[in-house]
Amino acid sequence: MKGILAIMDREIRAYFFSPLAYIVAAFLLLVNGMVFWLIVSFLNNPQARFGAPLELFFGQTIYFWLVLLFVAPVLTMRLLSEERRSGTIEVLMTAPINEAQVVVGKYLAALIFYCFLWLPTLTYAGIVAYYSEVDWGPVAAGYLGVFGVGALFLSVGLFASALTRSQLVAAILTFALLIPLFTFGLLENLFNDPMLKQVFSYLNLWQHMEEFSKGIVDTRHLVYYLSVTVLFLFLSAKALEAKKWR
Amino acid sequence: MIEALNLTRRYGDFTAVDQISLTVNEGEIVGMLGPNGAGKTTTIRMITGFLPPTEGRVTVGGKDLFADAVGVRGEIGYLPENVALYPEMRVSEYLTYRAMLEGMTRAQARTRLPETIASCFIEEVEDQIIGTLSKGYRQRVGLAAAILHEPQALVLDEPTVGLDPKQIIAIRELIRELGRERTLLLSTHILPEVELLCDRVIIIDRGRIVAEGTPESLKQSWIGATMLRVELKQGPEGVAEILEQIRGVSSVEPIDGGRSRFNLECEDQSDPREAVFRAAVENGWTLLELAEERASLEDIFVRLTTRDVTETPAPATEPSTKETGEPTDEEVTP
Repeated sequence: MKGILAIMDREIRAYFFSPLAYIVAAFLLLVNGMVFWLIVSFLNNPQARFGAPLELFFGQTIYFWLVLLFVAPVLTMRLLSEERRSGTIEVLMTAPINEAQVVVGKYLAALIFYCFLWLPTLTYAGIVAYYSEVDWGPVAAGYLGVFGVGALFLSVGLFASALTRSQLVAAILTFALLIPLFTFGLLENLFNDPMLKQVFSYLNLWQHMEEFSKGIVDTRHLVYYLSVTVLFLFLSAKALEAKKWR
Repeated sequence: MIEALNLTRRYGDFTAVDQISLTVNEGEIVGMLGPNGAGKTTTIRMITGFLPPTEGRVTVGGKDLFADAVGVRGEIGYLPENVALYPEMRVSEYLTYRAMLEGMTRAQARTRLPETIASCFIEEVEDQIIGTLSKGYRQRVGLAAAILHEPQALVLDEPTVGLDPKQIIAIRELIRELGRERTLLLSTHILPEVELLCDRVIIIDRGRIVAEGTPESLKQSWIGATMLRVELKQGPEGVAEILEQIRGVSSVEPIDGGRSRFNLECEDQSDPREAVFRAAVENGWTLLELAEERASLEDIFVRLTTRDVTETPAPATEPSTKETGEPTDEEVTP
């Protein structure tokens, strides 16, 4: 446990010391701010449909997904591949901790930093609350969705980082894994067979976020995120172990 | 304390380490000596659990590496060959991190920190960012990190590489100090270091142990390599031939191809100095120098690890000598 905390602690510090993290944070806020502004001005139009701005904000625009697909690889690409490239992995793998603890420590650091990145978006809710009314339930559910999808994406990124010593390859690989993961659900519309339709609907992240943003917390979605996350963390630990044998 | 049995590591068809067995007893300093690429680092990596052996077993402090890898890792303080550190961290921060990885609390690490930092002579860079440190400082930070949590066994891969002569002396002093109460396995290719520090030496070449023993016993068993250095005031033609006929001299090697200075290789347990003197008197040579050169660890090392020579049976020794070559003509100084 101490080992996990030590790794997590070091990794969070490393985020704050790297310029990349600030670029990501700025990018995320810039895009989110723009999206929020667009939504608000769109809803301000008297001819627009009736809706809550934060409901649209969570996952109903393509920007939300583009940002996530960009942020996850950037946050995770360094985590394990850099250890391998610089050789610090040797210290890590000869300390009295196992591969799983290394993976969990690194993952928690990425997850915490990810949550930190979203923190400033709470001001949007504050702004809306100042001028109008906010239904906090759906907002909380929206953040839960952001957390769940983020947790899933970051675990995929960590796995890619465990596979290679190049950060660039790790980032590209993460992207390549996330694209199908994200678009699988969209295939739902291509099938008429009710069985297949249901399967793909279960995987449809866009649909999931839509429900979360409306305040519907479907535990099936959460189970899906959790199980895929655990799977990728397990694979990361195994990849780390396997690398020793080369 | 550290026990390795028949360690073997293969990379495809290439065998980097071949059936190496070694034991480091409690409180002993054992030095692993070998030319570059001999398999020292691979052996050390297998002992520390970084690299799984293709064959063989490792036990440290009674714990088996296969059954209890984390336990074994906890027993060892390890300085890897390429001291890799996190460039963005400060020295004290990094050391605290390493101590916590080893299971210490932050408070425990804080109390141990000043002493360790002082013993590795890194006080002046304590708050510096690692990325800005010179090679010598990084080496010492790595060493500090290896000993901070007071492990029972220390494994140091080339601990004095990249240090200046003054620091080397200081670090050797520290290693000797550590060796008093701890078990120490270190690798090096610097010969005097081994003679100065180690209770026992293991010479490795091409992935095999070619000789093993205390520095003294190694010299003892290779005493056959006694050399005489003879200098004459410009001897006449045929000096070499006369010298060669002296009893106990097995070969004569003119230095610089001239007729004034010679290296004589002597047969086992013989001392032909007197005969050389008489030969000089009889032939009317002026003898300027006649000196015996005992085999140093260096000669033994060169002899054992010289490659491009035909294989001959090893001289009579008790160490586990598997194969060896004739000594080369040139003076090789690593």
